[in-house]
Amino acid sequence: MNKFIQLYLLRHASQLPESLKLSGSSRKLSGSSGRLKRCIYFFVLIAFAVGFGACATYYQSHLDFNSEFEHGDLGKALETLKRRENEGDGKTRFLYNVNKGLVLSILGDYEESNEYFEKAFLFGEDYRINYVAEATSYFSNPNVTAYRGEDHEHLMVLYFKAINYLKMNKPEEALVECRRLNIRLNQLNDKYVSLEKFQRDAFIHTLMGIIYQSSKDYNNAFIAYRNAVDVYENEYAKMFGMVVPQQLKIDLLNTAKWTGFQDEFETLKVKFEMPDFKESTAEADLIFFWHNGLGPVKDEWSINFLIHSGPDNTMTFTNSELGLNFPFVVTESKDRSDLAKLEIFRVAFPRYRERALYFNSAYVQLDSNKYFLQLGEDINKVAFHSLNQRMLQEFGKGLLRAALKKAAEHSIRKEDDRLGALIGLVNAITEKADTRNWQTLPHSIFYSRVPLKEGANPVTFTIQSNNQRNIDYSFTYTAKKGQTLFHTFSSLETMTGPYRYY
Amino acid sequence: MKSLFWITVIVLCISCQSHNVTRINPETQIDLSGRWNDSDSRMVADKMVNELFASERFKEYAKENGKKPTLIVGLIKNKTTEHIDASNYIKKFELAIYNSNVADLVESDEFRDKLRQERAEQQDFADPSTVAQWGKETGADLMLFGEMSSETDTNNNRRVVNYITTLFLTDIETNKRVWYGQHEIKKLVKN
Repeated sequence: MNKFIQLYLLRHASQLPESLKLSGSSRKLSGSSGRLKRCIYFFVLIAFAVGFGACATYYQSHLDFNSEFEHGDLGKALETLKRRENEGDGKTRFLYNVNKGLVLSILGDYEESNEYFEKAFLFGEDYRINYVAEATSYFSNPNVTAYRGEDHEHLMVLYFKAINYLKMNKPEEALVECRRLNIRLNQLNDKYVSLEKFQRDAFIHTLMGIIYQSSKDYNNAFIAYRNAVDVYENEYAKMFGMVVPQQLKIDLLNTAKWTGFQDEFETLKVKFEMPDFKESTAEADLIFFWHNGLGPVKDEWSINFLIHSGPDNTMTFTNSELGLNFPFVVTESKDRSDLAKLEIFRVAFPRYRERALYFNSAYVQLDSNKYFLQLGEDINKVAFHSLNQRMLQEFGKGLLRAALKKAAEHSIRKEDDRLGALIGLVNAITEKADTRNWQTLPHSIFYSRVPLKEGANPVTFTIQSNNQRNIDYSFTYTAKKGQTLFHTFSSLETMTGPYRYY
Repeated sequence: MKSLFWITVIVLCISCQSHNVTRINPETQIDLSGRWNDSDSRMVADKMVNELFASERFKEYAKENGKKPTLIVGLIKNKTTEHIDASNYIKKFELAIYNSNVADLVESDEFRDKLRQERAEQQDFADPSTVAQWGKETGADLMLFGEMSSETDTNNNRRVVNYITTLFLTDIETNKRVWYGQHEIKKLVKN
């Protein structure tokens, strides 16, 4: 028997209906007609088949690709994705496209990479809720719906796309992505009323500023940088304990000066406690992005709830250990009595599992000057925060799903006990959280601006691990006067595997 | 179970609704987010053009100048918190001036450099009888400058934003301001 099924049955043995406990299940069903038996066997087989797929998380069901990617075997990872081309049209097409786009980007195939990122972007633009799939999800699990993508994942699509264009020296196309980012940020800002939610992305504002600055549009760069500072100082400080990157302060001051905003320039110098700052223009610039580690993976956890009847047609789902109470209004007295008989049941919810960083700092050295890379985005924290903020909503959806499934089971049980028991088994097996997320994203993004001279610039990039292990890489950048070059360096190492790509 | 059946029927009906696109009159004012949009650009352009045409000082300048003044668009600074493309209303403003024939327009630096490059290449590659000559560009008399700023006040889920757009025409020779126009758009947004 498959290990997932074995594990599942061990975990949920107590919840299986008595008539369907595995040992001697055929004996327990004796007395039925042969035809009914065949039907039930057929359903049990289907249930196991569903259970086989349902038990594995999204990460586990793509273990081959994940393993190849984490071990830095990107060629093989790409081949694996190509073998699964059918996923490009399926429920997880967003994830298929972003994974393929990201792998191709690291491999340096920017043109093809952007084709896949564009597909992911358009998916987000054209996404419409499939109500049939949504309704079905309440009788099975959320994985029957198309994966919509987290807010920060949609922003990251455009980040990678813009960077790909900049590496291909196509600034006009990068500016298009910049405008799309602006629309996405506005949409995100309007989406939530609560200020506790992830509404504004400081790093994306910074990126927009960098792109505008590279196109010599200093006014728009100034606006983007100023917005980024505002988000870092407020939301990011409170939510993620982050500070305004020093590079951002310098870029904001420079663009204020170059736009002719003298008052703002003087005010910002005082605010940033940089009274001696003088604006400076290098012959050329290098923007170095360091994609450090790997972002979190969605996992599953489950909670047992008790049901209590309350006043005014309410039924309350309670978990006293976690102090959770969710009242539902159930108007039909028959449904209330069905639910009241449930007493206890398990509901699965998603949660993130962090992949801890192996490296903690890095710098670029040009001549004798060291430029330390500064944390711009902690994707890990953004992901955790976003899920935590909507956990109540997840609880509500999970409980409604469990209640509907259980009510259906009890209703059918009244007509036919064995069929009801079978439905109960299928319900238990299909109970599952949505564990899908973009798992090839970096854990954190660091960046810095390095002033270059016209011509060849040999630099050393040094990454430092938690145990003070240093690894050096050498690059030479050839720049034209006034040009801004872009480079991304991906360290795929986490605390479990040392691999890197650049 | 009866209620579940009806829920399923309703969601199936809703799911039958298809993606819908309708072309509408560009003049229609539609406010969705409360941020700067096409209606604001149109309002600013209309207001500024009307103010310019009604300006006694501009008429006086044109009279004193002895010929139709020539305009060039300079820098429009954006001090708001939004990425607003000023060219959306500046182009409307230019179009109104061009069509009314009250002034001539010359290209700003963005296009001027392209024209000069083309002219330089014509010297080498074009038929000499058709080559554009150097030194024949029309010098502008006035330059259009501008600034956009915004003041925002928020409380709970309400936001008041006041956009202030200021445009001015300055005599390139004397640095004297010939015309000054300002338009404010104040919005109350409730989320």
